[in-house]
Amino acid sequence: MKTRNNGMKSMIVLVLALMIVVTGCSQPGSNASTSNGGNTNASDQSVSDVVAGLDSSAVGFIFVGTKDDYGYNQAAYLGSVAVEEAYPDLKVIRAENVPESAEAERVMEQMIQEGAKIIFPTSYGHLEPALNVAKRHPDVLFYHQGGLKTAENLGTYFGTIWEPVYLAGVAAGKMSETGKLGFIVSVPIPQVLLNINAFTLGAQSVNPDITTNVVFTGSWCDPGQQANAANSLIDAGVDLLTLHQDCMKTVVETAERSGIMTVGYHADANELAPNGWVTGSEWNWGDLFVDMVKVGTEGQFNGSKYDGKYRGTLADDVVKLSTFGANVPTDVQQYVEEQKAALLDGTLNPFAGPINDQSGSVRIEVDQVLSVEDLESTNYLVEGVIGTIPQ
Amino acid sequence: MIADILTGAIRSGTSVMIASQGELISERAGVINLGTEGSMLCGALGGFAVTVWTGNPWIGTLAGGICGLLISLIHAFLVLSCGANQLATGLTIMFFGMGVTAFFGKNFVSQQIVGFNPVPIPYLSDIPFIGKILFNHDPLTYLSLLLVPVLWYVIFRTRLGVILRAAGEREEVLFASGINPKLVRYLAVLAGGFLAGIGGAQLSVAYTHSWVENMVAGRGVVAVALVIFASWKPLKAMIGAYLFGAAQALQLTVQQQGLAISPYFLFMVPYVLTLVALLIVERRKQSQTPEALGKVLAGSS
Amino acid sequence: MSIAATITKDNKSFLARNQSWMIQSAAIIAPFIVFGIFLTFYEVNPIELYWSMVQTTFGNLYGFGEVLLKATPFILTGLAAALPAKAGLVNVGGEGQLAIGALFATWFAVFYLDTMPAMIGIPIMLLAGACGGAVWAGLVAVLKVKGKLNETITSVLLNYVAVFIVGFFVHGMLKDPNSFNWPFSPEIANTLRLPIINNTRLHVGFMIAIVLAIIVWFVLSKTRLGFKIRVLGSNRLAAERAGFQINKMYFWVLIAAGALAGIAGMIEIAGIEGRLRASVGTNFGYLGFLAAMMAWNHPLRLMASAFLLGMISVAGNKLEIFSGLPSSSVNILMALVLFFILGSGKLVKK
Repeated sequence: MKTRNNGMKSMIVLVLALMIVVTGCSQPGSNASTSNGGNTNASDQSVSDVVAGLDSSAVGFIFVGTKDDYGYNQAAYLGSVAVEEAYPDLKVIRAENVPESAEAERVMEQMIQEGAKIIFPTSYGHLEPALNVAKRHPDVLFYHQGGLKTAENLGTYFGTIWEPVYLAGVAAGKMSETGKLGFIVSVPIPQVLLNINAFTLGAQSVNPDITTNVVFTGSWCDPGQQANAANSLIDAGVDLLTLHQDCMKTVVETAERSGIMTVGYHADANELAPNGWVTGSEWNWGDLFVDMVKVGTEGQFNGSKYDGKYRGTLADDVVKLSTFGANVPTDVQQYVEEQKAALLDGTLNPFAGPINDQSGSVRIEVDQVLSVEDLESTNYLVEGVIGTIPQ
Repeated sequence: MIADILTGAIRSGTSVMIASQGELISERAGVINLGTEGSMLCGALGGFAVTVWTGNPWIGTLAGGICGLLISLIHAFLVLSCGANQLATGLTIMFFGMGVTAFFGKNFVSQQIVGFNPVPIPYLSDIPFIGKILFNHDPLTYLSLLLVPVLWYVIFRTRLGVILRAAGEREEVLFASGINPKLVRYLAVLAGGFLAGIGGAQLSVAYTHSWVENMVAGRGVVAVALVIFASWKPLKAMIGAYLFGAAQALQLTVQQQGLAISPYFLFMVPYVLTLVALLIVERRKQSQTPEALGKVLAGSS
Repeated sequence: MSIAATITKDNKSFLARNQSWMIQSAAIIAPFIVFGIFLTFYEVNPIELYWSMVQTTFGNLYGFGEVLLKATPFILTGLAAALPAKAGLVNVGGEGQLAIGALFATWFAVFYLDTMPAMIGIPIMLLAGACGGAVWAGLVAVLKVKGKLNETITSVLLNYVAVFIVGFFVHGMLKDPNSFNWPFSPEIANTLRLPIINNTRLHVGFMIAIVLAIIVWFVLSKTRLGFKIRVLGSNRLAAERAGFQINKMYFWVLIAAGALAGIAGMIEIAGIEGRLRASVGTNFGYLGFLAAMMAWNHPLRLMASAFLLGMISVAGNKLEIFSGLPSSSVNILMALVLFFILGSGKLVKK
């Protein structure tokens, strides 16, 4: 007993001593180092000499999930296919299932070693890793999807998806008979909360008493949980389901089987739900990506519209409203189109104040105009949404 | 609200329930198979894939069962013929199942199938309260409900069941009767794998009509834990599985009530509940453990 | 003994020893061959792939650093599995223990340590990580000792719970106020980051891992405590009869294992990530378990198997970029390795 305790104690002391020696003997390191990660040439280039992306022979795309998810990653994947078709001489490298951690740095470094000087990290969580790699490689251009921080050689792009989501909410408001909508999401990140709010506000513009039941599944694509969530919402009296998940199939099909309507997200799933499909929101990255690659390979990134936080809008056709389902009456379609036109010419502001959160306090004042950063860092749910977010 | 939770319990718990019935058979013979998760995954993918190819969910489900069986064959071989540690082997099978299904399942992620749909039983499903809970499910769920009494009967009232239990308790008896206990264990593990495969297929072909990588999400592990919780009795295992399903459904219902509970806390509930249930049951069950299994769980096998 | 008898005796044991070593090597090599055959069906040249794996690892400093980077947590979570295994326990909770260790380490780093100099801050963070992992493993230990619950099942279930706990914190008290409400922790201070080697991303964490592996080896093979642990692991009945306090030993071994995995969590944060995310250390626990099995739970050999796993892990992405095969195919390789090892277990006399 005594031996054991003494043994343990001396072990701990030894370990601690070693730690202190080891940490004391070197400089602190982090992403502030000036090393360039294995690139053996051009270590002395000053930033002004280097044009990021110029004459790149390859373009890299990293996806957080799989490309066939009928959703987020598939949309990005289709964008990469458009690039492939537009530039047959350019090598397109892809990596799927890249986690949102420092692991992504490694994948990007590998792509750089394969010759990629333009990289598209397509998931929000790839931002920090991308910023780190960008610092080490000033000659590589990064186009990050959805981020809110930029760098000399890293621009972010996204679409104002809340615009079509708002319009889809308008359609939902018109079509719902019970006045109860269901929204299945994964985790309460800002982009998700923003969508829930936009959808609800759109529906409330038609029916002020409408409510949205939100369910968090904790996962971006877990069919079992999605089926549970859909069923539970249907049991609660919801007659229209929408979602913010990476994959759509399960929810749409479950709704269709139970005679419930659907509003989609990320992609057009009209054919999965011939009876219940209303409309949806989708991305249209193809043309945007092609243009971004052109700007990059020509070395025109600095000072271009992509240098910074670029947000493609409904007007730019970067985000779109999906096709209407067969059972959507013409007058509803017309109404939604009218709202869309008003949105496009600026007379309709989806987030026109006063807007209250669930506790009743005012979050958006009358005449207050929100910036992109404000919207994309939403941390509350509007009145009429049922469901709690962890604080 | 209670009706919703109970309905959700059966909907969500069926796949776990079928798998745990299978694992029950295996553990009664003295072999614990943590690879149930792998069997369920292979069953889910196999069932889905074959349903895509043949258009017939029944054939698909059968195929799913066979896939689960094949995976458990590896487990049986390594444990029974090579003498490997049961728990470590089971875990390896779990990883293997995850890797293999992720790899081969890539092409099936966005496929559509003609799966099983809920079939309300006429008249019975109109009974208030109970009707909705019990009689508005897909065919596989109905079959699984029948599975429980059948299994109970076989295990406790037939010679086959005696042989099975002897393999787990007193293998000398089997030797004396000229039956090879190793063979019995092999068959028990295979039966377990088959049922786990069916459980996985239920998830993909009946409940969600989808295949996504890793969609079983830990249900296989829970199934194994539930068997221990159930003291190796089919009826109790069924209740345990539905409890797990209820916890999952409860989590969703609570969210909708607008109660200020963090979703993360709710996500934990099914797993914590399983642990607590195990703890409560552990007190009473010492004498009920099949002896061969007891050695494995205590760590000397 | 006559000279003739001595010679024969030595020859026999020499052969027996070699046979065991040969079988173990075969168990590691065979799966690569099987996987290679598998690859050819997909038009990937396995020789080319394996060679490029070797090239990436040993060809330049960066590649070597990457492999060591990957191997570091594997060594620690491998120890977290190997040490209890020597005592006869199967601890698969490295995953959760790493996560909670990372949580504790980040908590301390963010709230208490941001103004401390490296020499004080880093060891404290290390201790915090170790405590976190120990606490989580402590749950498994208590459930085993007091509740008689099998540690394999409880540790796996607790892995899932741990992930949700981390998720809870990064959405709440540990959320970065400067990251637009996205769920991860603030970045820890520069002074708390582990020192790195130039031209790579490699940090001194790997030295910490190696030192710990040596310490564990030393304790197990050269101390009385280690001897008792090994006796308990190979023959519990004998241990009981000899009057060992079994429950106490189980408890402390699991605590130590948790501490090791917790340190892996701290290193993950301070060395690579710089901040806590809900997905911290995914799969590191299971891969560490695999490394431990591949090394037959021997701490020094664990370093080699962790290195090998690091090579395979790094190669996974290359495989994907090269050939379009999903990186999950590498999981198949890893499982194959395990199958062969498990299958050959009976043939190898420890």
